[in-house]
Amino acid sequence: MNVWYLVYRVIIDDIIFYPPVYQYLIIPGLIAALLVALFIIWFERKAAAFVQMRYGPREIAPRIGGAIQLVADLTRYALQEIIIPETVDALPYILSPIVMIILALLPLEAVPLTSIRTYFPIPPDYSLLIAVALSTLSPLFVVLMSWASNNKFAVVGGIRESFIITAYELIAVLGFLSAAAMTQSFNIVNIVNMQMSGKWLGLLNPIALLAVFIAVLMSTSGFPFEIPDSESELVAGPYTEYTGLLYGLNMGGGYIKRWVFSILIALVFLGGWAPYKPVPGIITGYFIPSLIVSIKALIVMAIMSFLRSVYGRYRVDQALGIAWEILIPLTLAAFGLGLAEAYFGVI
Amino acid sequence: MVGEVKKLISIQDLLKNVLKDNIISIEQNKGYLDVLVSTDKLVDSAKKLKDSGFDHVKSVTAVDYIGKKQFKITYHISSYLNEELSKYIIGLSTVINRDNPHVPSLSKIWVSAEFQEREVYEFFGIVFDDHPDLRLLLLTPVIAALKPLRKDYVVKEESDDIEADYIAYNTNKWW
Amino acid sequence: MEASSSGIPHLPGMEISELSKNTYEVYIGPAHPGSGHMRIIVEVDGDIMVRVDPDIGFVHRTMEKLAEGRDWIKNIPLFERMAILDACNITLPYVEAVEKLLGTEPPERARYLRTLLCEINRIASHLYGTGIFGVFLGHSTLYMWAFGDREVFVDLAEQMSGARLTHSYPVFGGVRRDIPDDFPEGARKATRYMRNRLNEYAKIFLNNPNIRSRLENVGVMSKNLATELGIVGPNLRASGVRYDVRLNDPYEAYGDLEFEIPVFEEGDSLARAWARIEEMRQSLNIIDKVVDWLEKHPRENFMHEKFWKTAPKLYKDVYTGQIEYAGKYRIKLMPLFASLKVPPGKAFARVEAGRGEMVYYVESDGKDVPYRVRVVSPSFRNVIAFKYLMPGHRLMDLPAIYGSFDYFPPEWDR
Repeated sequence: MNVWYLVYRVIIDDIIFYPPVYQYLIIPGLIAALLVALFIIWFERKAAAFVQMRYGPREIAPRIGGAIQLVADLTRYALQEIIIPETVDALPYILSPIVMIILALLPLEAVPLTSIRTYFPIPPDYSLLIAVALSTLSPLFVVLMSWASNNKFAVVGGIRESFIITAYELIAVLGFLSAAAMTQSFNIVNIVNMQMSGKWLGLLNPIALLAVFIAVLMSTSGFPFEIPDSESELVAGPYTEYTGLLYGLNMGGGYIKRWVFSILIALVFLGGWAPYKPVPGIITGYFIPSLIVSIKALIVMAIMSFLRSVYGRYRVDQALGIAWEILIPLTLAAFGLGLAEAYFGVI
Repeated sequence: MVGEVKKLISIQDLLKNVLKDNIISIEQNKGYLDVLVSTDKLVDSAKKLKDSGFDHVKSVTAVDYIGKKQFKITYHISSYLNEELSKYIIGLSTVINRDNPHVPSLSKIWVSAEFQEREVYEFFGIVFDDHPDLRLLLLTPVIAALKPLRKDYVVKEESDDIEADYIAYNTNKWW
Repeated sequence: MEASSSGIPHLPGMEISELSKNTYEVYIGPAHPGSGHMRIIVEVDGDIMVRVDPDIGFVHRTMEKLAEGRDWIKNIPLFERMAILDACNITLPYVEAVEKLLGTEPPERARYLRTLLCEINRIASHLYGTGIFGVFLGHSTLYMWAFGDREVFVDLAEQMSGARLTHSYPVFGGVRRDIPDDFPEGARKATRYMRNRLNEYAKIFLNNPNIRSRLENVGVMSKNLATELGIVGPNLRASGVRYDVRLNDPYEAYGDLEFEIPVFEEGDSLARAWARIEEMRQSLNIIDKVVDWLEKHPRENFMHEKFWKTAPKLYKDVYTGQIEYAGKYRIKLMPLFASLKVPPGKAFARVEAGRGEMVYYVESDGKDVPYRVRVVSPSFRNVIAFKYLMPGHRLMDLPAIYGSFDYFPPEWDR
């Protein structure tokens, strides 16, 4: 056989575009997540600066508006010394941020990004249920982080985190499952195919989209919705004792979790890879649909970043009050609305 | 001008009526009216003044007269809720001996004097009896043992000798 | 103050008290991103604060002792460093007390000039306090806007006195400089701009439902509690007590000007934030009136005759503008001040600074250094509210309460 054909078969077809590897590592996996985190933190700082009558970052590369500021920040975190205090429990302390990031990217293994059979990572019959279930694994390690740090501020932050995660992840799970109620299947490929004709589920059931949006904002810590991490009372909550690359992983971990949820929102509520119909072949069948989904997810993240400049921080008991008294009935109403729409044959 | 003199005379009359024979002397200084009472009548005069409308303390001052071997403690009081009395400031003062200085505390009557009495305690070494929470406020114990604001205080030079500091602190502290 | 019976050495800076079984002690300490230079020791039971103890004294600079060793005129820059944002308001009572002892009163133009700088400083100080309050609640937009708008007023103060923050503007007998010729239009533009911005602040911060739910009914201080604790400033006026030194005991030019004092009844943190915004509006009106008066009246002397007649001819030439490189309408330090001897006596003066009422007691015995200066700053009188007001609230209400009191640790500690 031809050498180039062997190269094509082995490297590209079997390693890079092998679906589990492609989805976990390339798009929308690790590399795309890091690039998106780089871009979105810069965008957040610039948008907030524009509202606040100032310029934002412009020291590093003034002509393109300081866009590679985050590369400088990451380099500094990577080269800084990691200090491990004597009073912490060393093994959980070092492992928790790393395991948290690994588990945060796991739902991407379960979602199909195209409708062509050869590119499914797992059989897609229950893919929505599996993806939503996998997304609830990573917050446990934040609580483990706060216990291992052996610091009063970390313990108070960890307790707040456990309260908030319980309430808001429940809302996110219920919101996603109302899409299953509407389309009567857990298969994401069927859900996207039903949205091909322009009937996006986000337009048919806006209450569910709103509830999932708020739940994602509150449960992935980003200023100013980060109650466990609030700077004015607790120094940095569970992340107080971290320095160096572990600190960079913690701070970036919030954005990576947000990215994963945004991919799920883009697939379920915003149409997935519609209006493009995938044709068999690597570029047209796999690469382009994943790019379309990524761009929709990026728009959702940009809207979440813009809200930074308008809102302040809620108190813990008020945030929990909103979750249990207002948002859970709203989500149950969205579920009921989905069932009603399925019954009357709207979709 | 005549109205002002009338008002001044009436405030002195008011004080004479309220405090009757506790007063040793009344003196009009520039900006406030100084009323001197003796130390054992201090709590009684404070209660009578509070009942007649003076409801907060603006400042607690102690002045060290080293020639006459006395401390003079002044409470500047005034009123928030009474419109007439809020234009005047009364200085309730008393004179005590310089060695072994003890004064009854007025924090049970006026809560606003609590932190200021702590400050006078640490700077001058004057003990306020019956204060609910008498401890140091602004200074560290090593410096407070030397009673900084008295006139015979010599500024301590900064040194790295912790042993000598500790010995000096142990010999000088009065608590 | 004896040693406790269990053998633990009982140093008076350290308090040993019994903790009940369920409380948890948290130090909001000096090296905290949300605290400033002070420490608050909080005992928490679950999420409710049980005991709060303010531990201050980290920036104590011994100003009262230093003032006893310096000449009278050198104490003006010393006391200014207490709170350099409102420099004119902080040194004004000292200058007034010494003027009472000397028996000289400043001329009328000097009184209006002092009033103008006092109001500019009051606005700058309120903007600083509002900005810091925003950042404690997680609202960074208000912080950036308040500090950006403060630059406008610091710039006006620089045109008047030559320095952005530490003005040293009032001296015994008058002021140091007169306003330049193009000052009134700059001042009018600034007040017009700031009135629009105050409406924006109300929209994004005070009427924002997120912030309102954090501030409403938090830290409620009734009228009787405020009077007993001796609270000063806008915090007092937000609890329903109508007391302001500018109205009750007028000084400088406030007796001739007409202005209002905003008083609120609720006494919670939201009322304290509103009280500052409304006071800024009133200060803008006062600035407009004073600038009109200064423009209408001809330029006359701004320093008392007793000191002005001892000035050499060079000063009088600089004042009228005959020396080209030296600017106009300014004087250098009078040589008489360097060896001023004040007749013996005791004096007391009070002024409404940005954060509340500022009080000085000055005693002199005829020499060229003071015998005793006692200064009580407004933030020092507000510290007692932490101990009595905070227990019973949740831990996350701590920044909402102490940000609304407009904390400024260098002013507490002197």
